[in-house]
Formats: sequence, structure tokens, C-alpha cells
Amino acid sequence: MKYLLPKNELYSRLARWSAEYSILAPQKVGEYSEFLPFTAQSELCLQEPHNTRYPAKALFFPQSETILKYNRISGQLESAAPESQKRIVFGIRPCDAKAVTLLDTVFAEGDNQDPFWLARRAETFLIGLGCHEPCATCFCTSTESGPFHTEGLDALLTDLGEVFFVETLSERVEALFSELSPAEAAQQEIALAVQAAAEKSLPKVFELDGIKEKLDRVFDKEIWAELSQSCLGCGICTFLCPTCFCFDLVDEAQRGTRVRNWDTCMYRVYSLEASAHNPRPTRRERTRQRLMHKYSYWWEHAGKLGCTGCGRCVRYCPVGLDIRAMIKKASAYESEAQHAN
Amino acid sequence: MPTNPSVPNPYLPTPMRVLRAYFESTDRTLKTLELSFENLADKIAFFKKFNPGQFCQLSVFGKGESPLGVASAAWEGDFVRFTVQRMGSVTKALHELKPGDTLGMRGPLGNGFPLADWKGKNLVIIGGGCAFSTLYALTKHVQHPQNRPDFGQLTVIYGARSSGLCMYKHDIQSWYQRDDMEIHQAIDVPEENWDHHVGYVPDVVRQIAPSPDNAVAIVCGPPIMTKFTLPALVSLGFPPEAIFTSLEKRMKCGLGKCGRCNIGSKYICKDGPVFSLAELNALPADI
Ligand code: SF4
Ligand code: SF4
Repeated sequence: MKYLLPKNELYSRLARWSAEYSILAPQKVGEYSEFLPFTAQSELCLQEPHNTRYPAKALFFPQSETILKYNRISGQLESAAPESQKRIVFGIRPCDAKAVTLLDTVFAEGDNQDPFWLARRAETFLIGLGCHEPCATCFCTSTESGPFHTEGLDALLTDLGEVFFVETLSERVEALFSELSPAEAAQQEIALAVQAAAEKSLPKVFELDGIKEKLDRVFDKEIWAELSQSCLGCGICTFLCPTCFCFDLVDEAQRGTRVRNWDTCMYRVYSLEASAHNPRPTRRERTRQRLMHKYSYWWEHAGKLGCTGCGRCVRYCPVGLDIRAMIKKASAYESEAQHAN
Repeated sequence: MPTNPSVPNPYLPTPMRVLRAYFESTDRTLKTLELSFENLADKIAFFKKFNPGQFCQLSVFGKGESPLGVASAAWEGDFVRFTVQRMGSVTKALHELKPGDTLGMRGPLGNGFPLADWKGKNLVIIGGGCAFSTLYALTKHVQHPQNRPDFGQLTVIYGARSSGLCMYKHDIQSWYQRDDMEIHQAIDVPEENWDHHVGYVPDVVRQIAPSPDNAVAIVCGPPIMTKFTLPALVSLGFPPEAIFTSLEKRMKCGLGKCGRCNIGSKYICKDGPVFSLAELNALPADI
């Protein structure tokens, strides 16, 4: 169904929902916006043309989480209880909602599904806000997504100035909007025009066709050394990436808990073995791993690209490394090298 | 949309108890632990899934987990054997365990050896160092009278740096008396009273020259041994599809989720640890 949500009714609407759901929505903290619980004092930050800095994956897969408790003396073991709560994530961008569906392929499919992810996922509605003014670091149109892409969303909002045009995408959120006035054909047309204009403002930076094969063929080439030269190995690009899911399991001996923490392939110790051998000893191999995972291995694991074009890694890399340029260079390397011969 | 949150916690170990613990090597760097199950249901679940070549994550609470290959065959009894090389803080803590102590175990993990594909084949088992432990499990499995007819000739080649580092000594000594297998042991440099082979495993393999006819070769050892043994087998005429090895990498979850043990698109913990050389040749050089 299609509805109109006047902007001046937004806060009262959220307040009403919050009687039944806990609501998470982007709010400003210092310079950056972040998903935080909505309260009577909250001021939402929905006008930024880009995403929250901290990725929305954290709402389902927290940076640090207790997975079990143990008693060292008695040997008693106990699983941590997966948290389930009726939640609404309001204002999530299409790239981040898509990223959540990508992580479903890791945590919610096949063998050994993750109960913590599943519990948080089951009762959380994702109400998305499309991006009518995509910014310079966005490239979702190149990555099987788009500024109004609907994958993973229960509803999508389009900003029409005074009102939001709301399109519900799943049965389960219909009741949330049913009191609103339905949108008319004219408003839908305006919304479609806004969506099309946003899409058009983001021309593709590369074609995905054949990219995997091109990258696979340059796996052992020197291009990776060149691309990773200025990388500091800080890991920001992976911690903030909404599709990165690597983690570490660590015992907190004082508390008697085993904790799962986000980890990053950009650190040397990540793949360092007990024998002191390291299959990825330098930034060259580690940068290659990050890019190949997203642009090659993901296809084999899930049949999908592992990057949603959210642009966080571009925006927050302290030395300005741009994954778009890196992928373009690496995938063009082979033909350039042939040229040079 | 995921809807079923009531799945078990795959990171939760099963409680185990140390049944026996003894040093395997004279330098006390290798210790064997035999563990029994605290719960019957866990034991049944384990043996339902277990296949030689698989590994488990052993937990010492407060220290963490360490992946270790299973060194026993199912028919040996209601226990699971591991041989632990003292390396880091977890393996050090494992060495300190005494009979009666409790610990955690997750597994069996990984694919294990493709025994069904090897039916009717001659097996050439080649191991070096403590990586021989999973090959010991394989040999024990094959030796059982019920399993033995499934395979042809059985040849085991096992090398260690010195006689003091040779594992499972008593049992292996008895293999020389068996008429259903061949056993060759080697140490790197000569020692008094050593009447078996002397030399590095790849050279011993070349010298023994096992026949590739209707055979598969299984190689587990330190990276340097594996690196030189694989081409030795190729030159003896073993095709890459008939050569298998087990890989080791830093691992955490053991379930193909935590991300670190990949070679290209393959996760060692889930897609391996056992791969044929043909499969390895198709992967990028990420080792
Ligand atoms: S790789 Fe970069 S652009 Fe792609 S999803 Fe991750 S952070 Fe966003
Ligand atoms: S954010 Fe930039 S500098 Fe930091 S690890 Fe990623 S690419 Fe390297």
C-alpha cells in the first residue's frame, strides 16, 4: 500500500509506535549521526545525504557480545540468551538494509545458524528512507543496489518536501501505517520522479559484469602492492563496512564470559598462526583479501556481490583510499599489462 | 526473512572430562588427552557425525579455544583423543590438565577424509610431526576388521625429527607384526638403536616408491614436508585427484562464519580441512 506521512506528524507517529516497539533512528552525536533509541527528547537526523557513520549491522551483530558464560571451577557452561525485542529501525538507508540481507546469508542460512542474529532479526522491522540526494561517496547504483532499492525493507519512505511518500513492502508493517491517508496517483508519480532523478544522479562507476573473473586473474599480480601502498592498516574500512562480518572469540576471564568481537582482516595478527607463519604478512595480501572477498568470493558464497556501495570505506579512510578506484584499477590491470607488452 | 530464533548456540562447547593425559614425546612438547563426554546425548551426537580427518575446538575456559585434529577412531571407545603440541596459551593450559579435569569441546568440525570415495583403493598414508595425529585416527579406522575389507593395501609412512618425538610408539610398534599393512618410520638424522629409515619424509617416499595404481595418497605434516612430498608423489605417477592433504590455518569459529581461515573462496574449517591436490591447485596462492 502507499501512504502519505506528513513530516509534522512524524514525531507523534513515532511516539505512538514506541508504546509497543523500541524505535531506533539516526540521531546526531557530535559530528556524526548514529542509530539510537527514540525518546521524547530525540531529535532525528534524516536530512543528511549520507549514511550513519556506524553501520546498521551493529543493531543485529553488536561490536561486542557475550555468547556464553562459564564457571571455571565447576565447568558449568551456559549459553547467553539471544535478545529478542520488538523493534523498528526507522530511517535505515537502502544500502544498509540490503547489507543486512547479505549478512543473513552468513548468519541465518544453512548449517549452524546464529541464534543471536536470528532473534534480533525476527522481530525487527526495517523502515527505510530512500536517498533523494545521493552524495559523492555513494555508488549503490554500481553494486546491485540503488538509492531507492527495497531489498530487506518492510517499508520505504521517499522525501517529497512536506510529506514522506510511504510504500509498504511487507504485510507485517501494514498496521503501522493504516491510519494514514493513502497516497494518490499524482503523489506516486512525483515520488517516482524523485526516485528516478536520484538514480540518474549516480551514474555507474563500473560494470560488475566480468569483474570477478578479472580480479581472480590478477590475484598474484603486483597491482595489489601498488593499491595498498598508502594503507595504514587501521581497519576502519572493515569495522564501518555494513557487510563485513569477521569476528573473534575471546574469553573474558574476570567475568567468566566468552565474547564475540568484530575483527578485521586488515590487521596482521588476524591471520597470524601459532607457528608464526602468516599467510597474509603484508598490507598487499590484506588489501587484496578485503577487495577480493567483497568483489569475488561473495559471488561464490552467496551468488551476490558483497559490497552495497554505501561509501563508508571511502568516506572514513584516513588516507583517502577509494574502493571504487581500487576495483577499477585492479580489474583493468590485466588488459593494461597486455597493452604494455 | 529469518523467523526461527530457536536454534542452538553453535559456539557453545559440550562439557568433557579428561580421562587420561600423558606425554607423547620425551621432550614433553606433545601431550595426548583422552576425553570422555559428560552427557550421553553429546556422545551420541558426536559419534553420529564423526569421520577421521575432522577436528574439534578444545576450550579451556578463561584462555580460549584451540583447533585440534581428532587422533582416535570411533571403535576405540567412548572417548575422543587429541595430541596437543605446546605452542600458545591455550595449548599450554591444555597441557596442564589432569585426569578428572573438565574442559569444553566443539565438534566434530570440517569435512574429514572422503572415505566413501576411497572404497576399494590402496591407501598410502604419509605423515610427519604432530600432524600425523589425524592419520593415526585414519589408520586405526581402517585397521578395524569391519572396515578393513573396504580398502586395498595399506601403507603408512611416518616421519619425526627424532625418535623421542615419535608418537603412539607402542601401538605403532605392533603394526610391524600385522600382515594387512606396511609401516615405515623415519627420523631426520641417525640415532643409536634406530633400525628404521633415516631421512626426510619426501626422500623416504621416493625411496619406498609406493605404486600409484588404484591408490590414493594422504599427506599431513608440517608445511615444508607437505610442500616437497606432493611433487614427489606427482613424479611417482599419482594424479592430483588421488593426492589429499589436510590444511591448518588460524581459526576461531570453525563454522565458516568468523572469516579468517579462507583460501580464496574456500573456508578451511568448513570446506576442508581435507582437500585433494586437484582442488588446491584450483585455489589462489593464499597459503
Ligand atoms: S566495501 Fe565500502 S562501499 Fe562497499 S559496503 Fe563496505 S563500506 Fe560500503
Ligand atoms: S580505512 Fe584506509 S587506511 Fe584504514 S585499513 Fe582501510 S584502506 Fe587502509
